[in-house]
Amino acid sequence: MAKRQDASTGNMVDDDSSEKKKLDPTMMEIKVYSPYQTYFDEQAYSISAINDTGPFDILKGHHRFITLLNPCEMEIRTPKGEEKIKISRGVMYVKEDKVTVFLDV
Amino acid sequence: MRQPNDIQRDEKSIGTLVELTGVFEGIASMRIAQIKNQVLQATAFFNDLWEIYSQLRVDNLFRFGRSQDSDKVLNKDLYILITAEGGFSGDIDQRLVKVMQQTYDKDKHDIVVIGHHGAMQLAQQGISFKKYFKLPTKDKNINVSPIIQYVQQYQKTTVFYQEYVSLMVQDVKRIELSAAVQEQGKVSDGQEKKEIITAENTIFEPSVYSVIDHLERSMLQIAMSQLILDSKLAQYASRFRAMTASHEKAEETKGELRLEYNRAKRAIKDQRLKEIINGLRKAKVAA
Repeated sequence: MAKRQDASTGNMVDDDSSEKKKLDPTMMEIKVYSPYQTYFDEQAYSISAINDTGPFDILKGHHRFITLLNPCEMEIRTPKGEEKIKISRGVMYVKEDKVTVFLDV
Repeated sequence: MRQPNDIQRDEKSIGTLVELTGVFEGIASMRIAQIKNQVLQATAFFNDLWEIYSQLRVDNLFRFGRSQDSDKVLNKDLYILITAEGGFSGDIDQRLVKVMQQTYDKDKHDIVVIGHHGAMQLAQQGISFKKYFKLPTKDKNINVSPIIQYVQQYQKTTVFYQEYVSLMVQDVKRIELSAAVQEQGKVSDGQEKKEIITAENTIFEPSVYSVIDHLERSMLQIAMSQLILDSKLAQYASRFRAMTASHEKAEETKGELRLEYNRAKRAIKDQRLKEIINGLRKAKVAA
């Protein structure tokens, strides 16, 4: 397995990022993080949040999308169940089945 | 010559100083390691955000997130000074104020100072400032929104901060804030050609300009937080250096006092011995 250097610890760790992409074709890659903490970085079926327009869901195949998020409890549906992350503000960027949520910005 | 008891008392208090400076030295070195790590993490986050922003840009102007209300801009430059909250940080704050004074003109510049030590330095020199902010005690999730609100009111902002070069070298720097954002962004600007995100290929909510303004504000905040963290890093390093010097000096003084104490004790013993010998001699003569 390939190795990469972890930015936070400086240690060499297994790089499983290439394997992640090969996983379930019905899922999207979702990363939720803030400048100092990563809250979620896995594959999932969908993500729900609230913006100025109201509540919305992002599923696989969604059009490229950028939105400012309102304070809410974000819901991420994964094979293991539903994960909830309470947010005060953030920016969501969706592109080619990859969802990136920047929190506290 | 001083009495051994007095010397011993001094040696004891110097011993406390040796321990204290050692502790401060340890704390400073620990904080340096922690902050370095946080700067790394925040830089990675900033680069991801910049990646999106740079694809969104319609031109090369950085508007400080105020594209929709630019008429409120003051025709003055803002100077932001990032200094230490308290003492024990060496001479780095004095150096920073000196660098700022080289270009400062009270009619053209307003000053916002972060850190009590810097505010004191300015007050001592009779330089008035618009606002004083406490240097954030925590190193994570620094709330710089009140500072950014000031930044947005001015046409240009220059930040005077302290840069960590190495544990033994800290430098005083000045940077224009919009340049600081773009400078950080350059790190993520690779050689590959970026695609452009427009309203034709992307859905924006609420609108393109709201998103751009928000990203600009966010990146200003991150860049500002980074400069604060950089300064804190330099201050801890400066404190480490000052504490190392004090620790060495205290150790040296402690050694000298120990020597003085031993000499004083030896002198008393010699004196007593001399008195005994003289006494014996006198007794012998008398007999």
